[in-house]
Parts: sequence; structure tokens; C-alpha cells
Amino acid sequence: MSTPTETATSSYTCPYCRNVSDGGGTSCSRCGAPVDVRLKVTKSGWAKQPPIKDMARIRFNRSTCQISGTQVPVAEMKLDGEDSLYFSHHVLLHADEQVHLETMQMAGGWNRVLAGMPLVMMQAKGPGHIAFSADRPGETLAIPLQQGQAVDVVEHRFLVATTNVNYQWERAGVWFTTQDGDEQEWHYPIGQTMDRFTAHGNHGLLLLHGPGNTFIRDLNSGESILTQPDSLIWKDQTVRMHLHFEYPRGQYWFSSSRWQAKSMWLRLQGPGRIAIQSVFEPPEMVGAVMNSSPSTTHYW
Amino acid sequence: MDRIECQWCKAQNEASRTSCNTCGAPLDQKNIVSDSGWAEAPRLRDMTEFHFSNSTCQVEGEIVPVAEINLAHGDSVFFEHHVMLWKEPTVPMSALNTGGGMKRTIGGMPHVVSVAHGPGRIAFSRDATGEVVVLPIHPSHEIDVREHAFLAGTHSLNYSFVRIKGLANVLHGGTGMYMDRFVTQNEPGLLLLHGYGNVFQKTLQQNEKILVEPGGFLYKDSSVQMNTVKQSFKTGLMGTHNMFLAEMVGPGRVGIQSMYVHHGSE
Repeated sequence: MSTPTETATSSYTCPYCRNVSDGGGTSCSRCGAPVDVRLKVTKSGWAKQPPIKDMARIRFNRSTCQISGTQVPVAEMKLDGEDSLYFSHHVLLHADEQVHLETMQMAGGWNRVLAGMPLVMMQAKGPGHIAFSADRPGETLAIPLQQGQAVDVVEHRFLVATTNVNYQWERAGVWFTTQDGDEQEWHYPIGQTMDRFTAHGNHGLLLLHGPGNTFIRDLNSGESILTQPDSLIWKDQTVRMHLHFEYPRGQYWFSSSRWQAKSMWLRLQGPGRIAIQSVFEPPEMVGAVMNSSPSTTHYW
Repeated sequence: MDRIECQWCKAQNEASRTSCNTCGAPLDQKNIVSDSGWAEAPRLRDMTEFHFSNSTCQVEGEIVPVAEINLAHGDSVFFEHHVMLWKEPTVPMSALNTGGGMKRTIGGMPHVVSVAHGPGRIAFSRDATGEVVVLPIHPSHEIDVREHAFLAGTHSLNYSFVRIKGLANVLHGGTGMYMDRFVTQNEPGLLLLHGYGNVFQKTLQQNEKILVEPGGFLYKDSSVQMNTVKQSFKTGLMGTHNMFLAEMVGPGRVGIQSMYVHHGSE
């Protein structure tokens, strides 16, 4: 266990979003993390991201975001007339009549359809209140982005972002193929694409939804960790990732374990921060791997 | 003698109580209200007990809560048959005549509404993450509830259904064709709802409007009008994207839930 950084001038560095504030109040004004609870770090180095307290406020530009609810939290924005947000249309819960809604221009529409990504992204412009819900139990994660800062987010975790946060999507580059008769099957353990969010012009705010509990970890340069592929929520752009296959020792060389009982991991390699969730779907265990993106293999 | 008014249901309670005798809401905690005026439905403490008629109800569990009712002789509760979690073997059962059979079929509403009669114990659960919302209903008070959201109602409540007007609402609104309507004539009644996720309530003033995702709508006073608003947005690839929202117009209370089935996108 360790405690958040405090200095003699009573400035406070939030251990979760790394922003400096005066530490007043009970939660970080940039990411909503409580400031009056001890930072909990496991012996292996994972810090538990504490849930944002009910009704905690996060400030961005001239607007505020208030998180309410504890099981399926709601992010309620009080938008200034100069501020705007974008979101996938199905997360909208309620809005004042005067909030201006429109679609956001998105490039690569056909590729987005093929990749199963949201096709219609909406934009909301203040003034007024507008609220969002991910419609699933879990935690809302607030990531304030400094100008130029970028994070990579696994698809379907995105909730809402300020419009000065640029949204691009890229091939995740994590895949493998198996053979079923004459057919080759393609598998994408973290999805075909990842969302990249980069703040431009000003500080930006990115809200994500993490099912279950969330844990963060800072990897040093060259340090790596194996995680369940579906548990990754986001990572710094500097963190590299590739697949790792492990095959348990079988009694005979032709043991089925070499094909069926493999473990598949996502290897995340620093430097940079990663965030994982405690709820995940184990990857499909299907036949022998024929081909894959860059990966490592270990036979026990 | 000092009394405390419950902030949720406005019932008067003895000063020594820590939870409301009528709805179970904690009396020693402040109402939690967001900046825009949405009040969180009170989180009932585990094992909170409250009363109706001569019977008691106890809510247990916090993730998928269970409402356990100790029915007194002469009291009864009605419910959709699949929400019953357990009951004592001696609790007699009957079926409520709901009327409107064909319309209910078309509207996807339950055909069989069961009634459990006291004395004895019976418990209900909606089998999903959420909150039990307790709404005491007073004479001449009418509440409209989205279909498949009510957990149980007490014997003094009159249960009927109302059609949601507007074809667009029928096809796209997500609340279905009908809503359950609960009203009581003489004796106060108690309505237990299950809200998926977290539940919030806002009281709209006369002609005040709010746009709500139809799947998030949970309940409203019958004085609140519910209209379907279609918003069309131009998109580069598909031409136009239509979005349907429920426009709620005051006066009265509106309840919403943060987890919902979004029929429009499925």
C-alpha cells in the first residue's frame, strides 16, 4: 500500500490521471477519482482504480460532468454553450430540449461497417444537460488528456469524449488463423480495430466504461505482462502488444494439448500505462493455430 | 411528538426511525440529486423492512435485490408469474382477470398475472442487476409503468393498461404498445418496481419537457404526457439516420433507469 503524492505546498498529484491540483474536495476535479481514499496497490504492482463517487463532478473546459449511480453509472454533462461532445448514439440516456444534436462526420464508413464499429457518431453542443449510460454494470472511467496525449482503447469501451479529442481507428494487428476442414478461420482476440483518441488544441476528456473492477499499471521500458486479451481496456500509445501462446506439457508428443489445451495471452510491453478490467470473456479455444500476427510461443 | 417526513414518499415517520415505514427509504441520508434535478431512487439498506396494510415487506440483497413479503390474512399481492422466487407451500394462489386478452397478446404483455393471498411468505426477484423501487400509491393517484417492469402490487391497486399513442412509438420507441397503469380508489397501495441499473426520478413542472431514451423510461405520473419525437440526421454513407426519443411533458414525476434494452439498435 502507498498513499497519493503530497507536497508541502499542498499540491496534489492524482495517482490515477497524473494531473496536479490543489487536492481540495473529496475527488479529483480532472478525473473524479476520490482523493480521500488510500491508493491500493497489489504486491505485484496493479493499482485498483477506485470507482468515481456518486455525484462527483469532473470539470472540463467550461463544463462539468457529474457521475451518478453506482451499479450502471450515468455521466451527466452540464454543457456550456462553447463546449461540445461526441458519442455513439445508443449511449444517450436523456437530454434537455435545447441541446443541439447532430451527426459527426466519420471517415471510412464501409470499413467501419465491416469491422462492426459504430457507424453513426453523434455530436451534442451546449448549452444544456445531456446524460449517457453504457447500459451495463461496471465503472465509468474518466481519462483527462493533455494536449497531444494519445491513448489506444479497445473497441466498445468508448462512452463519450469532448470534440477537441480526435478519434481515429486503426487495425489492432492482433490475430491468428485456424483451419476447419478446407476453411481458414480468422480470430481477433481484441477485435479487428482499436480506437485512438488524441487531444488537440486544449485539454480533452475521454469517458470509457469498464465492466467489473478496473486496475491500472505502469510498465517500465521493456517490462512486459501477460493478460487475458479481452480484459484490456486502454493503453498508452507507447505500449506494444502481441500474442503469446503457451502449450502445457502432454504425456506424449502427439498429446491433444498441443492443439486444444493451449493458453492464449496478450503480451503488453512497456513503457507506458495499461488498464485492465476484471470481467472478460476467455478466448475461444479452437484447433491448431496455422498463422498469426507477430507472436511468441512457449511449450512447457 | 417529533415526526420525520420521508423525502422519497413524503410519509410521516417517528423520529426514532432510520428507514421509512412506508417505502423503506433511509431517513438518515440526504436525498441525492444531480445538478440537472434527477434524484436517485433511495438505495434500500439490506434487510430494510416496511409495511402495507397488515403485511410487511423486506428487501434483501443489493446487486439483484429480492423483495420478501410476509402477507397477513386478508392481504394479497399480484405479480407476473415468472418473478416469483420462492413461496411457502401454504400460500394460496389465484389468477387476476386482466381483460383485453388479444390486445395484451399483441402488446407483448403478460397474460397470466398471479395473485398470492395471505397468510404466508412469498418473495420476488426480476433476475437482473438493478434496484427495487417502492412507490406508495394514494387514492386518485395514477402511475404508468413500462411493460415488464413491475415486480408486485398490493391488493388495493387496480391494474390496467394503456396504449402508447403514435405509430412511431409502437415501432421504434422501445416501450412496446402498452404501459401498465396502476390506480387505487380508497385504500393506499404499494407498488414495487424493478429498475435495471440505477433509477432516477425528476419532477417536471407544468409544460416542462425532457427528452428521454425510450428504453430508459421506467414510470411516470399519468399527468405526464409521453410523445414520440423523431430526429433525423444526415449521414454521409447512409443518407439519413433517424433517432426516436420520448418527449416527456409535465406536470408530474418521471422515473428512468440507466440500463435498458435499446430496441432501436437491435
